[in-house]
Amino acid sequence: MTKKFVYLLFLYALGTFGQEKLTISGYIKDISSGEKLLGVNIIIDNSIGTTTNDYGFYSINIEKGSHQIEISYLGYKTILKEIQITNNQKIDFDLTEELAQLDEIIISSNNTRKKIESTEMSVISLQGETIKKMPAILGEPDVLKSLQLLPGVSSVNEASSGFNVRGGSVDQNLILLDEATIYNASHLFGFFSVFNSDAIKNAKLYKGGIPATYGGRLSSVLDIKQKEGNTKKFGGNIGIGLISAKALIEGPILKGDKEEASGSYMLAGRRSYIDLFSFLLEDFKDSSLFFYDFNLKANYDLNKNNRLFLSGYFGRDTFELDGLLGTTWGNSSGTLRWTSVINEKLFLQTSAIFSNYEYNLDNLRTGSEFRWKSSITNYNLKPKLSWYINNNNTLKTGIDMTYYQFKPGKISSLNGSSINEEEFSDKFGLENGIYVDLKQKLSDKLSVQYGLRWSNFFRLGSQEINQYETGSPLTYNAEQDIYEENEVIGTTQYGSGENIKSFNGLEPRVSARYLLNDSNSLKLSYNRMYQYLHLISNTTSPTPLDVWSPSGTYIKPQYADQLALGYFKSFNEGKYDLSLETYYKKLNDVTDFIDGADLIFTEEIETQIAQGDGRAYGLEVQLNKNEGRLTGWLSYTLAKSETKVLGINNNEYYPSNSDQLHELNLVGFYKLNKRWDFGANFVFGSGRPVTYPTGRYEQNGLVVADYNNRNGNRLPAYHRLDISATLNPKKGKNGKWVFSLVNVYNRQNAASIYFNEVGEVGDQEIATGMTQATKLSFFGIVPSISYEFKF
Amino acid sequence: MKNLFITSVIIISSLFLSCETDVTSDITLNESTPRLVINGGLERNTITPLTAQRIQLMTTASFLSTEELPSISDASVVVTSNTDSWTFTHTSNGIYENSEIIPEIGNTYTITINWNGETYEGSDSISEVPSFDDFYFEFEEETIATDAGYFVKFDTTDPIDIVNFYYYRLFKNNEFIIVPDPGNSEVLIVSDEFFDGRQRIGVNPNDEVPFEIGDIATAQQLSISEDYFDFLNELFIQTGNLGNPIIGNPPPASIRGNLINLSNPNNRALGYFYAVDIEEDTITIIEN
Repeated sequence: MTKKFVYLLFLYALGTFGQEKLTISGYIKDISSGEKLLGVNIIIDNSIGTTTNDYGFYSINIEKGSHQIEISYLGYKTILKEIQITNNQKIDFDLTEELAQLDEIIISSNNTRKKIESTEMSVISLQGETIKKMPAILGEPDVLKSLQLLPGVSSVNEASSGFNVRGGSVDQNLILLDEATIYNASHLFGFFSVFNSDAIKNAKLYKGGIPATYGGRLSSVLDIKQKEGNTKKFGGNIGIGLISAKALIEGPILKGDKEEASGSYMLAGRRSYIDLFSFLLEDFKDSSLFFYDFNLKANYDLNKNNRLFLSGYFGRDTFELDGLLGTTWGNSSGTLRWTSVINEKLFLQTSAIFSNYEYNLDNLRTGSEFRWKSSITNYNLKPKLSWYINNNNTLKTGIDMTYYQFKPGKISSLNGSSINEEEFSDKFGLENGIYVDLKQKLSDKLSVQYGLRWSNFFRLGSQEINQYETGSPLTYNAEQDIYEENEVIGTTQYGSGENIKSFNGLEPRVSARYLLNDSNSLKLSYNRMYQYLHLISNTTSPTPLDVWSPSGTYIKPQYADQLALGYFKSFNEGKYDLSLETYYKKLNDVTDFIDGADLIFTEEIETQIAQGDGRAYGLEVQLNKNEGRLTGWLSYTLAKSETKVLGINNNEYYPSNSDQLHELNLVGFYKLNKRWDFGANFVFGSGRPVTYPTGRYEQNGLVVADYNNRNGNRLPAYHRLDISATLNPKKGKNGKWVFSLVNVYNRQNAASIYFNEVGEVGDQEIATGMTQATKLSFFGIVPSISYEFKF
Repeated sequence: MKNLFITSVIIISSLFLSCETDVTSDITLNESTPRLVINGGLERNTITPLTAQRIQLMTTASFLSTEELPSISDASVVVTSNTDSWTFTHTSNGIYENSEIIPEIGNTYTITINWNGETYEGSDSISEVPSFDDFYFEFEEETIATDAGYFVKFDTTDPIDIVNFYYYRLFKNNEFIIVPDPGNSEVLIVSDEFFDGRQRIGVNPNDEVPFEIGDIATAQQLSISEDYFDFLNELFIQTGNLGNPIIGNPPPASIRGNLINLSNPNNRALGYFYAVDIEEDTITIIEN
């Protein structure tokens, strides 16, 4: 039945292809910077329409003759133009920003019409400019923190590297920076993300209804695009904040003596400097703690139809305590992409991508100095073909090929200490995804986007794999409720490139939109996702030292199904819009640690983890005000997320670390006049799960806590109000001031509550036998100021 | 090492923006039924032989309560090895003693406890501990993680091709000293994985404990089983946990000891019955 249906849809797509029509296609750009604009609406004769793709390219079919074309993009002046079409034609359009003329702020490029009409649901799109308008901790705007003000996105606490989408764990987010996977998105232990807001053009987060073009993670895809740079003139900006200083330059790349630029570049850099103040504290004068990163993007037109893009990222955190410990970690990535307009209907893009995450950890204590080194590297090739069959059908197809190299750990001696060198064996993997995605307008009311992704994963040699006595590394002893490690009875040696274990999965993806009328629509989506890599972390929020590990002989891939239903409405002529979504997500074979797992220096991680099931469901409501002096949104999420793993919590479902029943966000922007902008946000979240002790005993002179149920207790509710004010430059001036106040009423929100033995009498450290509960909170009220200068 | 990292991050995070509040009186904890707890084991010490082997039995109490842990005086405690068996008798405060047993290297000892109509059983084995090559003290200046003072140090050589696990105990003026510190799992216990067969110079058995002139310092190196090492590792990670979520902390879980309740497996006992071999030396801190 399903097969026949798909077949019929396909026939329908090809059938409509028969009618002879002419195609117009081209690029839509910002007139002042020449930057290509994505998601621009193109409407012909007020009836048929399309939007530009990620590269600002559009293609639309119309009949011969005279037509009215309307090009609209929020924040830009709408173009209304008569065009004469006599043959297939290339027409580029330049849009003029209208922001300067208006006393209001545009919060999202997704204008209301698109929200109602698109088949996309569960998608959040944020522009770099919006992110920079929100109040930010220490004046450092951050895309990941901004996303957390939207429904369905949260984090375990303010200092957590990573975010949770619809109750999923942090390793279930695919984070892409110009298509390159970012394995750890945090700077400074999660207080900030690796994304420099100056260098970001836009960020799009798929919480559900994930199209077949993406794969590899269960819960979400965060697709971040860097700015391309100004093709008209050289320029840049310099920003100075409390935590970091940054600079960005951009400009055209000229070819020979031609007037018109053949491309552009953007180069941005940022470095934090809190460490420069460490001399103020005697204890820290010999320590260092800072991060820096660089962003690069360049594009070049080979000719009218072929463009090359180069984009790169490099970032590092360094943290050193003299004589104790030193550590460095960070991502690097590079993307080379070629886009080619084969003809009016075919658009081909091919990307070759490199991505790496690594950390070094140095033990600097005399006598036992050593260096621990670990990394993950991937090489990725992604050809993707878009076929604009006709105005009702767009087909995308492509292949994702990724080769992984994992270096779990290497220990080497430092300063000639008596440490034996040791290296854990490298792991290799190859992940492929082949997909087809069809966007189809079935009638005036019904549009669907559906596709299929076939993914597979090969765990490759060379590697020596342990064989365990019973065939598996762990056996669960139900009577004692404990995992027992099985004995290694031998090993199997696999040669270089030899297939150790392979997996594959079919991932159907469907989303449908039904228009009730011009301002109301219903949407439905379903997606299945497979995930072949696991982030192995035995802490509630991940650390820079966590290890990504591939599926293999003893670890299965995870997979998830998500079903979402939504209602979208706009009113007051698009001034307001409302969305209501509900979802159910079922997760299978998610990894968790067995009680008492120890990971560091453990080569056989399969002996430390167990796989189980998860489920998450919820309701998300968001009301946006899109126009006027005051804009913003109010959102509310009601959600639940649970996990069940054999051997944990008496084999019953327990709340996931990210579980949060209520979440309320209120975000507002107010434009007072041409110079002053204000922003405010209020966040309320009900208490996160936590495990409190149920008993106390003594062992070796120390008080020990005993526990019963995992995540059986709740922290107090979280709430916070932030405000900001921006003083824009006077006409003809270039300096901008941003003032912000985070946590205005100085609430000491609990990041955790922990229980321990009092370890001090007076100033002497000693076990006392006394117990205490302590609340830890980050951020009381934090004022900050930053300055930005454009040239 | 990871814990050292965590400790350092806690230091750093306390440097800016974080704040701690004592909320002991605001918290109400769920209570669970008391469990049997064993605290103690067999110690082979050829330097200062023990007059009797002691094992203490208690039950758990509420975590935040200030009451003494209830001791168990009505249990029967028997230790066996091969065909030998020794009965331990209760003296006071839940302590059971036997002065005839002489722990021997290579032997596996099994304890059987009968209490409240249920039988608990657990075993451990003794492996030989290497001796100190040298034992001394040194003065060290204050660092970011440690106070200034005199620290006991020793040199010791790990036997080659034998898997060893060590636990260090420190005594100040004959009193055992331990601090609930995040560094314990790195400092107090160690496996020879990365220094098998090598001599280690200047091992500090507990860098949280500085001595002053006139103090008598005793340090012990214990050879422990791998299972006991795993237990202590979990114990020290958990008791040193400062709950800092920047780095997170392991999901708290009941630490499994080696006692099994044969009558009712769900009613687990806590703690570890250990059997260890001890190397020990004592030095008086003097001005040098």
